[in-house]
Amino acid sequence: MTATHKVKITYCADCGYERQTLDLAKALMLEFGAQLSTIELIPWEGGTFEVSVDGELIHSMAREGGFGSSSVIKDAVRARLS
Amino acid sequence: MTIDRARFDTGLTYQAYKAQMTRNRDRLEENERRVDLSKDDLAAFRALPRSVNVLVLAEDWCGDVIANLPLLGRLAHDSGKLEVRIFLRDQNDDIMQRYLNKGQFKSIPVFVFFDEDFRELGHWIERPASVTEVRAKRRKQIFAAHPEFGSPDAPVDQLAEDVRVRLQGELAKMRDETTKFANAEVVRELREIATRVAA
Repeated sequence: MTATHKVKITYCADCGYERQTLDLAKALMLEFGAQLSTIELIPWEGGTFEVSVDGELIHSMAREGGFGSSSVIKDAVRARLS
Repeated sequence: MTIDRARFDTGLTYQAYKAQMTRNRDRLEENERRVDLSKDDLAAFRALPRSVNVLVLAEDWCGDVIANLPLLGRLAHDSGKLEVRIFLRDQNDDIMQRYLNKGQFKSIPVFVFFDEDFRELGHWIERPASVTEVRAKRRKQIFAAHPEFGSPDAPVDQLAEDVRVRLQGELAKMRDETTKFANAEVVRELREIATRVAA
């Protein structure tokens, strides 16, 4: 089976969110391995921290607040892989 | 938690802060060179009846610190009336908790002005509301003029990479064009606080 699922993490590069971005990327890599075709990290601005799977926004700091729980985000990704 | 002379003196001087920066020092120093203080503002700071202590919370990754700390640095240098000590936000949470933005956000920079007896004159957080407002308006105008950027509220990861890069360029240009206004607003607000010091 060829993985085609893409995860994108957009983070504010002016806000010092690198650690949280890398922590989440690592958690997704370890959890899903080759089930994901891409984990893309997008440096942005304006306090952004957003996670999408295949174009669907599953976490947004502006919408849900905070960086989101890693386990909740993993569950949301898993739901879209099945 | 109180700020007194002993705690204040443990902070970094402006020069020491710059020396320990691990990133963005070039941007900060370029902004410092570009600061254009008006004669009137400078005269007001030079005319302060006594020196004012300014405690700063900062981190070198923060865009608002890189934009606004140089203004304070230049005001201190050019007026000789501000004693600045800088504390790293993430190593001084007790101070940060006292100056949360809207009571909940760890926004920086924070500038806290004290008289010589460490009575607080006032504090300043992040950037002027007027600057946030003007930039939000200009941002909306950019999106209105460029339908290819989509909705201003949509996640940017939905944009093609080349479009995203163009949007980033437009936003950087807008920030550059509003810098003069932003700097004037910052100095106006800092002056209002500093001049509360009693003769």
